[in-house]
Amino acid sequence: MHTLATFPSAMACTLGLLCFGASAAPVKIGVLETLSGPQASSGQAYRTAVRFAVDQINAAGGWNGEPVQLLEYDNQGGPAGAADKLKAAAADGVQLIVQGASSAIGGQITEDVRKHNLRNPGKEIIYINVGAEALELTGEKCNFHHFRFSGDAQIRTKALVSAMKQANALGTRVYAINQNYSWGQDMERAISDNAAAGGYQVVEKTLHDVNKVQDFAPYVAKISASKADSVLTGNWSNDLLLLMKASKSAGLKVRFGTVFLDQPGNLANAGDLAVGHFVAHTFNAEAGGAEGERFVNEYKAKTGHAPAFIEPQTVFGMAMVADALKRTRPEGGVLNVNALARAIETAKIKTPMGEMSMRAADHQVQMPIVVSTVSKDARYKADDTDMGFKPVKRFSAEEASTPAQSSCAMKRPA
Amino acid sequence: MDQLIVSLMNGIVYGLLLFMVSAGLTLIFGMMGVLNFAHASFYMLGAYFAYSLQGVIGFWPAVIASPLLVGVIGVVVERFFLRRVHHHGHAHELLLTFGLSFIIAESIKLFFGNFPVDYRIPAALDVPAFSLGGAQYPAYRLVMGGIAIAMFVAIYLLLTRTRVGIVVRSAIYKPRMAEALGHNVPLVFMGVFGVGAALAGLAGAVAGAFYTTNPNMALELGVMVFVVVVVGGLGSLGGAMLASLLIGVITSLAVGIDRSLADLLALFGASDWARGVGGLLTLKVSSLSATIPFALMLLILLVRPGGLMGEKG
Repeated sequence: MHTLATFPSAMACTLGLLCFGASAAPVKIGVLETLSGPQASSGQAYRTAVRFAVDQINAAGGWNGEPVQLLEYDNQGGPAGAADKLKAAAADGVQLIVQGASSAIGGQITEDVRKHNLRNPGKEIIYINVGAEALELTGEKCNFHHFRFSGDAQIRTKALVSAMKQANALGTRVYAINQNYSWGQDMERAISDNAAAGGYQVVEKTLHDVNKVQDFAPYVAKISASKADSVLTGNWSNDLLLLMKASKSAGLKVRFGTVFLDQPGNLANAGDLAVGHFVAHTFNAEAGGAEGERFVNEYKAKTGHAPAFIEPQTVFGMAMVADALKRTRPEGGVLNVNALARAIETAKIKTPMGEMSMRAADHQVQMPIVVSTVSKDARYKADDTDMGFKPVKRFSAEEASTPAQSSCAMKRPA
Repeated sequence: MDQLIVSLMNGIVYGLLLFMVSAGLTLIFGMMGVLNFAHASFYMLGAYFAYSLQGVIGFWPAVIASPLLVGVIGVVVERFFLRRVHHHGHAHELLLTFGLSFIIAESIKLFFGNFPVDYRIPAALDVPAFSLGGAQYPAYRLVMGGIAIAMFVAIYLLLTRTRVGIVVRSAIYKPRMAEALGHNVPLVFMGVFGVGAALAGLAGAVAGAFYTTNPNMALELGVMVFVVVVVGGLGSLGGAMLASLLIGVITSLAVGIDRSLADLLALFGASDWARGVGGLLTLKVSSLSATIPFALMLLILLVRPGGLMGEKG
């Protein structure tokens, strides 16, 4: 049903300059996500959240008296598809590209956007990154038109380690197991970097193939031999579930510190074995109190389910964009994209989790992080189970922040 | 030492699971010449059927009923789809099964959603079988291995020691002659396809509970199953068994090897040079464990294109 509703507007715009050449041009936001294929589930979650956020912008009057248009592009799960669809989006006159799933795709988009903006002054595009967490995106690849509205390996690990240490759940021997690509390597480095702060020793580090390992028993045998107290991992999806299931069936008594345990389906599939493990995430309704409850109910009413996983951070990121849009005056009826980018640099909003702002130096959002543990006493249950995420500690944006990377040399337009 | 034994056992059980899925694929190819791209989808269907049924009839009855259902689907696919395109040649059959695999995957998403479902082994089986070197070995892994071995023995005996086996083998070897002698060859083909699908379904029902049951499980295992069949030799049941065990044990042992090519070169005093070059030379074997089977396949295709136990090797 949703697809049907947005289709006509997308059609009208692809039919030519009809909507671009009109006296007042509407703002066009393009979601460039993985909407088909095996990884479609997270892409579709991002899309749901962006739709929710755009509806909110339009309910508040849109921009310059016109509703903001949302266009959807399917990157088909890979950088090649993303590059293709980015060209299509540019041809459709999209000014804001939103993407989050996969750092590999994010890396492609940020480079393509940078080149597009060099070649087409006056027709710039902004890349709203709501979930690609590779460090290089705000490091050596950082550019003026890229903004990240989620955490990264350093931010998440710092919070995770500090909360687990306070909860006396970390121990002194930590095993780092991660997926062998940019994100997993970032996580591995972050886990080593935080060793002094967390008072632990990294007993062993393992990188494994991404989403290819079916049987984690050999890895668990290795963890067991290392006599680790806890396992820190940036694994997501099946790589996380299978790892935890394999440890459980081997009777391994370790604590897991994770980043993506709140992905829908994980708790339902893992069952009781998930209890007591930790996750560092960007939203926990229980920690948000009344405001959190209001957000959950509102989201539920619109989309049919409670916001989970990457949905809240996407909504908050888009809310910051909305805040910046409000402060950007039309120039001759048209949006000046560079002016909008400058406005995003100073965006500041209040979310149920606390205050959130953009750091101009590297365009990394400064956002609160919550560390939660899976428990049966959690107020909000996940996945129709009797378990949920009970907040252990909330870190304000300043507490969660890590310094900007020195490798970022941002070129600003004159 | 303990760790080595555990690793070996892990590898063997994983290999046996691979065999359970690839047995049907290699059987169908060997008998009918059809490379069934939808085979891993039957594995997924088996898991989802067992998941849906276990709430109603319990775990073990579901594990038995689900392969039967998958077998029926296999029969329907052969009777009403494959048979119609059979005279157009293998390319059409291949495309048909390829399309079918998409249809099955999307239907699963439609009915069960995008995320893993709550299919788990029953608490009674979720116990350690024994302890070794501080780690427990799950009983369910032994059950999986046992089922796979029983399956191998049963198929082997059926094909080589019974009348049915003789008819099937003759129908494959000289279909026209078998037909002239009064045997219903299309029925034999339908039966083989159904049994092949049911075997994959059984593997799914058993393994889906231990690993995860999600809409991508066909994709995750499907590639590895093709590797097994190619390495073992298309159509060879014994080859599939050998290749499965080989791949299972190699991947499992590789995880424990934290060495890289640079360490090997260090024996010749070229360690500094290798570390300077980086890239492949400094990649640890353990981080490549899931990729090694593909390298093995490449090697087999180069030196023995028919596979380890293939007929045309």
